[in-house]
Amino acid sequence: MTKPLRIALTKGRLEKDTVALLEKLGYDCEAVHNKGRRLILPIPDGNMEVVLSKAADVITYVEHGVCDLGVVGKDTILEMPGKFFELADLGFGRCRFALATKKGTDFYSGYGVKCIATKYPNVARRFFESKGMDVDIVKIEGSVELAPLLELADGIVDIVETGVTLRENGLEVVEEIVPISARLIANVVSLKMRQQEIEALIQKIEEVLQA
Amino acid sequence: MRNYNLITPEGTKDLLLEECLVRRETEETIRSVFQSHGYDELITPGLEFFDVFQSDAVRYPQEQLYKLTDSKGRLLVLRPESTTPIARVVATRLREAMLPLRLCYMQSAYRFEPALKGRSDAFMQAGVELIGSNSYMADLEMASMAIVVLKECNETNFSLELGDAGIFKELMRELHASPNTKEEIRYLIETKNYSALNDLLDTLGDNHIIHALKKLPSLFGGEEVFDKMAQLYTTPHIQDMLQYLRKLYNEIAALIGRERVSVDLGIVNKADYYTGVIIKGYLEGYGDEVLSGGRYNKLLESFGYDVPAVGFAVNVDAVAKVAMKHNPRTKKPADAVIYAAPGYEQEAIKLAETKRQAGSVVEFALEETAEAALQYAKTRQIPKLYRVEEDVTEVTVL
Repeated sequence: MTKPLRIALTKGRLEKDTVALLEKLGYDCEAVHNKGRRLILPIPDGNMEVVLSKAADVITYVEHGVCDLGVVGKDTILEMPGKFFELADLGFGRCRFALATKKGTDFYSGYGVKCIATKYPNVARRFFESKGMDVDIVKIEGSVELAPLLELADGIVDIVETGVTLRENGLEVVEEIVPISARLIANVVSLKMRQQEIEALIQKIEEVLQA
Repeated sequence: MRNYNLITPEGTKDLLLEECLVRRETEETIRSVFQSHGYDELITPGLEFFDVFQSDAVRYPQEQLYKLTDSKGRLLVLRPESTTPIARVVATRLREAMLPLRLCYMQSAYRFEPALKGRSDAFMQAGVELIGSNSYMADLEMASMAIVVLKECNETNFSLELGDAGIFKELMRELHASPNTKEEIRYLIETKNYSALNDLLDTLGDNHIIHALKKLPSLFGGEEVFDKMAQLYTTPHIQDMLQYLRKLYNEIAALIGRERVSVDLGIVNKADYYTGVIIKGYLEGYGDEVLSGGRYNKLLESFGYDVPAVGFAVNVDAVAKVAMKHNPRTKKPADAVIYAAPGYEQEAIKLAETKRQAGSVVEFALEETAEAALQYAKTRQIPKLYRVEEDVTEVTVL
């Protein structure tokens, strides 16, 4: 038996959606459901192994080739691009990056340099660079919506799913930046060395997604 | 002010004992392969003018270059790779030399890598350049030498990949789109980002070229890839390239077996650096390519000397890392230690010289008494002690 194919999953919702997808493909994900505190879990009948980690770490593990495949949101890929292949859009985890400000303010008015609060400084910087705008970027770790309310920032760049959190805090979307969903990524060497296994898996996934 | 005198800069490291040993062994292995193929080594300076890396054929992203200035305020860089400096040397000092030139190098390269990713900014690169020939045999020499390097470094777990930069370029020539869109397409093919590539190409209409571009990132694997490409879209030029690559592929497959060689028609490089065949080498246990190269017929022209060339470079640190994992070493103790009683130092030095000439590794005991020297030998696991006094006594320690 060859080494199991190692897949890194983003803990939380993407993990649940991915496991549901794997089950639809007919794999036995018993171990993932009853994981306890374990972080590496076998999927015996698929000769696979699931590794659970934070989103950014999925990319790190795949880039270094210690995991062959990974499931991670496009938001994380955009924030920390690296050397890996992006093989499929898995369709779940859909949301979008957007620029939001306090309701009723005109973000683009005036010539003063604007201040942007975000968890995604690279995405924010690229967005404003593409507009030729200089902005100050403040990295916030928690609820970014607070920053404009506390008047630390003029606007935020963040993930928006339904927009409820924004509305409840008196914020509104000024501009959508880019749509987001979960992606299947692969290490550049793994895809070549284990082409048949990975291609077979992707084909099965695509069949299920199209059904 | 904070003092950084106890650490090395981000992206650099000290190589100690076994690590250093394995790195040097790897260097020697690779160097002897190069030499046995008739390649002459050269050394270029670690510092080059920034301009060397900013020609028509190669525009190195400035974010990745370590920069400094000379005493006249001119911009210098630590070399990010060695092929371009060698092209500079060939176009100037070796211009009158008889072609083909077979040159090799073994020197460090420096690049800013993204922080906190566990990658090195300084790494040892070994490489070869075959300059002045556009022949099939030159490409085959490169590919087969790449195999010898990988094989010598890792007998069992290597694989070689072949591609051709020309196929993508030809498709791009035929496609009507803005340069920005074309660059976007190139990036998406390089990262095998199927979904985004499809979305982008859908906006450009529907024809054979679009269809072929959509499939290009998935055109990797064995010989079947050539037929797939031929069915998708061909021009006489693409036909020729496929035929050429297929011949090379079959030749390599006959040498090392089909399971060790693959084709990827979706290899597309950022710079217009490569113009023909592309070669990549992988070792199991390392998540990135360890060897990479190809044909670059335009680079020397940008230095004013229009000759074709082909070459490849090996990431020696990566190869050594894999070697270390497969075959961990421990430092071997010396074969013997020599203790000289006071007044007998001359005799001890002569004895040591004799033993060393016979091939033994011999240390001097720095202890003041023969007993302490014996204890030292025991602790260091050195099997023999010679006591040089009136007579020479050989003591078996272990």
